[in-house]
Amino acid sequence: MKTPRKILLARHQAAGPKLDAIRREVLADWCCEASQEPNRAAALAATLLAFPTQLWLELIRPCRRIWTGLASVWVLLFLINFSQRDNVSSVTGKPVVSGEVMMSFQTQQRWMNELLADRAIPTEADQKRNFSTKPRSEITGTAAV
Amino acid sequence: MLEVAAPEQLPVDQARAGQPAAWEALFRRYQLPLYVYVFELVRDEQAGLDIVQETFIAAVRHLGGLREDAKFGSWLFGIAHQKCVQRWRKRRETLVEEIPETPDAFEDSPGDLLIRREQETEFMNQLAQLPPAQRSVLLLHFVEDFSLEAISRITEAPLGTVKSRLHYAKKSLRKLLEATK
Repeated sequence: MKTPRKILLARHQAAGPKLDAIRREVLADWCCEASQEPNRAAALAATLLAFPTQLWLELIRPCRRIWTGLASVWVLLFLINFSQRDNVSSVTGKPVVSGEVMMSFQTQQRWMNELLADRAIPTEADQKRNFSTKPRSEITGTAAV
Repeated sequence: MLEVAAPEQLPVDQARAGQPAAWEALFRRYQLPLYVYVFELVRDEQAGLDIVQETFIAAVRHLGGLREDAKFGSWLFGIAHQKCVQRWRKRRETLVEEIPETPDAFEDSPGDLLIRREQETEFMNQLAQLPPAQRSVLLLHFVEDFSLEAISRITEAPLGTVKSRLHYAKKSLRKLLEATK
């Protein structure tokens, strides 16, 4: 007498070698993939580190005279630009105002305020005239004069 | 004879840490029961071997998704079951058949069913003739003695359905074995 489990396993025992081969293959592939992971990272790091050298060797070194000439022109342009620079703030782009100019501006401002303050007092000409709502013909006093 | 390790002795944690020896032990432990299950469902040797291989590959890649190490076995069989379902779908076959649910649970041990030597061939023939859904449940019960809850998880079927499938599958097997006595 056997249990169903024993019968089923015994019936398929012949597949054992094939299953062993599958197991080994899967584990070999997995180990291979796992070992390639650090290699991939190292390859990426090497590529990144080699980039400046490659740039130098392939782009700059073959045409180094042209690059030197270009660099000289850029330096010259920078020097010219720097020497001709006026008092312009590099941050705001507005002219830099000195203290004397500011003092003069404040004095002028004060004078202007004083003048305007005098204008604030109403003059005689600005005072309101006596105004009557009567018709001109009824204002007898002034008409006789 | 194949020795079955208790679930808590399986080196799942070491396998998760990437130790090849742990994977070797796990696959060696489950390769034959898994193949038996898959073969008896798909009834094709090459397809069975392919599904076992795909299951191993998926297990290696997705072990991080397993939360309870003790459930490694049912998790592995669940992957294999899904592969079988995918194969049936490709062949436009179906696993599901409607059977009435039985109210009384049928939870005896697979060891209770003993088969004589002269009944073995009949047993295998009868097993092959069962509907796939019943066969699946019965194989999981026989081969790994999974609990009804574990079978429910593996086959993604409700617990009541699993109970009734197991009940009817065993009933028909017993009838056969009684008849051949």
